[in-house]
Amino acid sequence: MAEVSAWAPMSDLAVATRGLVKSYGRGHPALTGLDMSVPYGRVYGFLGPNGSGKTTALRLMTGLLRPNAGSIALFGAPFTWRDRERLFRVGSLIETPSFYPYLSGSENLLVLSAAGPPTDPGRIPQVLDYVGMTSRSNDAVQTYSLGMKQRLGIAAAMVSDPDLLLLDEPANGLDPGGMVAMRETLRYFTRDLGKTVVISSHLLHEIEQLADVVGIIDRGRLIREGPLAQLLADAGRVRVRVTVEEMPRAAEILQRLAPERPLYGIDSGDQQGWFTVHVAPNRATEVNRALAEAGIHASGLEPGSDLETVFLEVTGPGGTVGPAA
Amino acid sequence: MRLIRAELLKMRRRQATWVVLIVLVVLMVITYLLTGEAYRFLGIIEFPGAYGVIGQFAFALGGLLAIVYSAAFVGADWNWGVVRNVVARGESRARYLLAKCAALAIGLGVAMLIIFALGIALTFVQGWIYGLPVESPLRGRGLQDLIDWLLLGYPVLLQRAALGVAVAVILRSQLAGAVVGIVFFIGESILIQILTAVSFFNRVTQGGLSDPEGPFLGFEPIGPEWFQFLPISIGGNILVLLPGGGGAAAAGGLQNLLLRPVPFEIAVPSVVLYIVGLLGVSIVALNRQEIA
Repeated sequence: MAEVSAWAPMSDLAVATRGLVKSYGRGHPALTGLDMSVPYGRVYGFLGPNGSGKTTALRLMTGLLRPNAGSIALFGAPFTWRDRERLFRVGSLIETPSFYPYLSGSENLLVLSAAGPPTDPGRIPQVLDYVGMTSRSNDAVQTYSLGMKQRLGIAAAMVSDPDLLLLDEPANGLDPGGMVAMRETLRYFTRDLGKTVVISSHLLHEIEQLADVVGIIDRGRLIREGPLAQLLADAGRVRVRVTVEEMPRAAEILQRLAPERPLYGIDSGDQQGWFTVHVAPNRATEVNRALAEAGIHASGLEPGSDLETVFLEVTGPGGTVGPAA
Repeated sequence: MRLIRAELLKMRRRQATWVVLIVLVVLMVITYLLTGEAYRFLGIIEFPGAYGVIGQFAFALGGLLAIVYSAAFVGADWNWGVVRNVVARGESRARYLLAKCAALAIGLGVAMLIIFALGIALTFVQGWIYGLPVESPLRGRGLQDLIDWLLLGYPVLLQRAALGVAVAVILRSQLAGAVVGIVFFIGESILIQILTAVSFFNRVTQGGLSDPEGPFLGFEPIGPEWFQFLPISIGGNILVLLPGGGGAAAAGGLQNLLLRPVPFEIAVPSVVLYIVGLLGVSIVALNRQEIA
């Protein structure tokens, strides 16, 4: 059952989609009813397996595609591809960064800033500096690595000082330094400037460090959405290690602690077995005590939670394999 | 204006711009060097007759290159994916395309002037080589002929470019646009020869022989026929009517010998209509497109 939280009315959200449907050709659904709520001033982590519909959703939000059904609201007002001037407040990096290969980085930003909202040319060196590209800004883009193009793509998205950034897999190809720079830039953008960022990614660790709110999409539909802290708390778990002989009895006891959630047990092959109990991390002592009272002494106890657990739990380990979208 | 300035920057910095111009210049220089004797025989190493030859370079061969270059210039935005950036920034698709076309019009205008300046210089070089007096390019009707060629040839060049733009926008590719543009150009030229022959044959079988002792075995030129209004043909028609254009173009087509040309008063507005129509088609196609 989908767990979609309605944060607020559509009018109070930076981006909202309701029942968004998009198919490519006949019987090729990319989105099957997307309900997404992006609050103002936050980093929204948009997660999903390959082919789940993330890029399609972002293309619809930027008027590149037209939906078959459903609605989109940008800055609290309904948006269709005809409302192009609403996009003056949006900066985007959709799919791969695209530039004129024979122009330099700064020339590309110059020609890009001629389109759409009036843009101060003085912003160009500033955004190039944000992404650490000042020293290569006069070189032709065809000499750039993928990571450098990605940095330039982020700079291009920010050049007109938008209120909303839509970034599709921006960390692709970035080296660790680039990732840190991107993280710091986006934090500054949201926390200091109060702007909004939607960042789609399959790099769960990156999203975990950056996002305030997370939406998980699978097969074209949002299946989980909410504040990251809340999702992680819900996905808390305690891993406990016992001997193989004690596993059946331990399973019985541990299942009683979280009767509504499945209990995972695995034989690690060294006469020891690991159980994953879906309880909040702060209940680790309770887990240990329950086992001890039954005369089972755990040889290992690991409380924790991570986005990967949440992600795999809701999408399944295989994930979606679909068309490039 | 900022969009047009941006397009001019892209045009100036793109290698293909200079390659196309250099190809035209090199072909022109080689032709002038190799055909000097023939030109002397035809009396076109002197002004104003020389404008006919220069005009054929600028607008006939130049027209073909204009199709290819325009398709490449516009279609590249799909190949490189930059059209996505422009649309996602909220720019009007129509304005973006019109800015591209305006830059193309400026670029083609500059190229046309370069070719005419080079043609005038090459005519003097030929005159010097063959020891002929070239006279002033402005003597007699010279200035008027030059103005006629520039003013009436330029729309033909723009019409060719508009065709390249339309094909590239519809096919969303620079290569496909250029290839289809060339095929269209050559295809229509061949089609016109066939249709001319068929029309003429029909005229003969219907007793079109007017004067057995007259020129072309007594056949009067026929037409204008409907197929003379096809896009490549109607532009070529203008070039034939321009001073000295008929002589230089005669070898290039059966239609120039057997068909009556469409008069200027009809041909020029037809070309302008084509430009407007092709731009309209391009804008509608771009507005309807989903950009993946």
